[in-house]
Amino acid sequence: MKRVLEVIKGISRALHFFAGVALVFIVVLTSADVVLRAFKRPILGTYEIVAFTGAVVILFALPLSSWIRSHIYVDFFILKFSRRVQNVFQVSTRCMGLFLFFLFGWNVLKYAADLQRTGEVSVTLKLPFYPIIYAMGVCCFVQCLVLLCDLIKIVRGEYGE
Amino acid sequence: MGNELIGIIGLALVLLLFLTGIELGFAMALVGFLGFSYIMSLKAGLNLLAKDLVDATASYGFTVIPLFIFMGQIASHAGIAKRLYSTAFKFIGHIPGGLAIATVMGATAFKAICGSSAATAATFAGVAVPEMDRYGYDKKLSTGIVATVGTLGALIPPSVTLILFGMITEQSIGRLFLAGIVPGLLIALFWVFIIIGWCKINPSLGPKGERSTWKERIASLPEVLWVGAIFLVVIGGLMMGYFTPTEAGSIGTAAVFLLSFIKKDLTIKAFFKAVSESLHTACMVIMLIVGSAILGHFLAVTKIPMMAADWIVQLPFNKYIIMVLISMIYQLGGSFIDDLAFMVLATPIFYPVILKLGFDPIWFAMIIAITIMIGVVIPPVAINVFVVKNITKVPFSVIYSGVYPFLISLVVVAALLFVFPQIATFLPSLVMK
Repeated sequence: MKRVLEVIKGISRALHFFAGVALVFIVVLTSADVVLRAFKRPILGTYEIVAFTGAVVILFALPLSSWIRSHIYVDFFILKFSRRVQNVFQVSTRCMGLFLFFLFGWNVLKYAADLQRTGEVSVTLKLPFYPIIYAMGVCCFVQCLVLLCDLIKIVRGEYGE
Repeated sequence: MGNELIGIIGLALVLLLFLTGIELGFAMALVGFLGFSYIMSLKAGLNLLAKDLVDATASYGFTVIPLFIFMGQIASHAGIAKRLYSTAFKFIGHIPGGLAIATVMGATAFKAICGSSAATAATFAGVAVPEMDRYGYDKKLSTGIVATVGTLGALIPPSVTLILFGMITEQSIGRLFLAGIVPGLLIALFWVFIIIGWCKINPSLGPKGERSTWKERIASLPEVLWVGAIFLVVIGGLMMGYFTPTEAGSIGTAAVFLLSFIKKDLTIKAFFKAVSESLHTACMVIMLIVGSAILGHFLAVTKIPMMAADWIVQLPFNKYIIMVLISMIYQLGGSFIDDLAFMVLATPIFYPVILKLGFDPIWFAMIIAITIMIGVVIPPVAINVFVVKNITKVPFSVIYSGVYPFLISLVVVAALLFVFPQIATFLPSLVMK
């Protein structure tokens, strides 16, 4: 089980690294576009590349953010209960998250398949939307794995430590 | 069962789910999906999930959030805050309470490049508290002011709170930024008066520091000028319509990075940490937006926001009393959940009310920002106080006793905004006609 946790964490960290690269890329691309625009040589398609890259920044960062629980949640209420009851709450919330992200992932993949079938592309650079949307769907499933790992950690008494 | 009742049950369910320890953005998304599917159809609900997730993340407009967060993180991890504090210290450190005043001045200048309340509190807890310790300042004053100055992040541009408000209500981020400047500076000025008054009553709170020569003072000024220049380019470019908010965030991040790089302030390790922390915060904020968008679509089909607006408007109260009550709901809700998350949850419901009552949305944003400023330093969820406690290891009770006197100025400025809304609205009207 420890090995499984390590592998999922490794995948999350790798995705997080790509999200970081994407964030820095947006800064460089947009700044270069602003500077070059002053010389009447703007970078064509910056708007749509930034939009696509924005999705990479957020969705690729999601699994590790969940791993370290950096999302806002309220714990003052469940902390009033015994460890056993807290575990019941935590298992329930992880299952609700699993259900939500499974639905997110499945439907985002379906959406990507629709875009691939209809051949929808961006306005300026004619870039296809679907590869990024597929990647977003995959990230939702990695998020499901992270939530599964949370369940394992709860059972092993390691969650929140 | 009517759609209105389903909407009310949905909202109650969101609040109940919040108590279970689920991530707040996930709870909003889940209830929004279930409610929307129940009223429309399962297929419509599933389509909504995919569409709202893609729209909120693969969006040019929303990239402004990670970019301004990134800019603030680089500024926090570089030595900019330390030098700003040092400059302020040279000018004012020799008077009673001078180091606390220098903290206010340094943090106000730092806010021009860092939009996060908690990051400012953390940065100045590391920079200013040890200096105040060295001069024998009372912990109550030193930790209290550090926790409080961080709150300016909600008001002074580039405020992440105002960006988020602009995204939810489709208001101009440029206008919101401009509106926050005067109330923000006014609050900072009141803090200075409070420190002077407090140290006059009890001089042992903030003993005098060393007096610097005019030569030293003038030599330290370029530090402030650099930050001022970045602020003017970023915010000025946004106001003049030369940049989009996303471009302003990118240019600001690049400029702060270059400044830190030239000054050899930013190590590779600190840079990676800044990137990583920016991603975590941005991801958290955007997932709140995704949840709010899905819940918002559900509430829209129940017509609850419109009904709430109609109902509240016909209440037999003066519209300012209604506004005070709405602020109190934000305060109360934020106290038990999280101030930013509650703003994301409540604004789509109360915003139509504000419009119907005839209030200026920009002014409303300022009132909400001040409400959030109060929320981040009062119990039970006082994020800035937690941050300062973790860094300084000073007990909560001491920090809180130092925070309360400074809350007076927040309440006074909020009251002034009620009487003179022009404090917030005149600058945007003047610059962005």
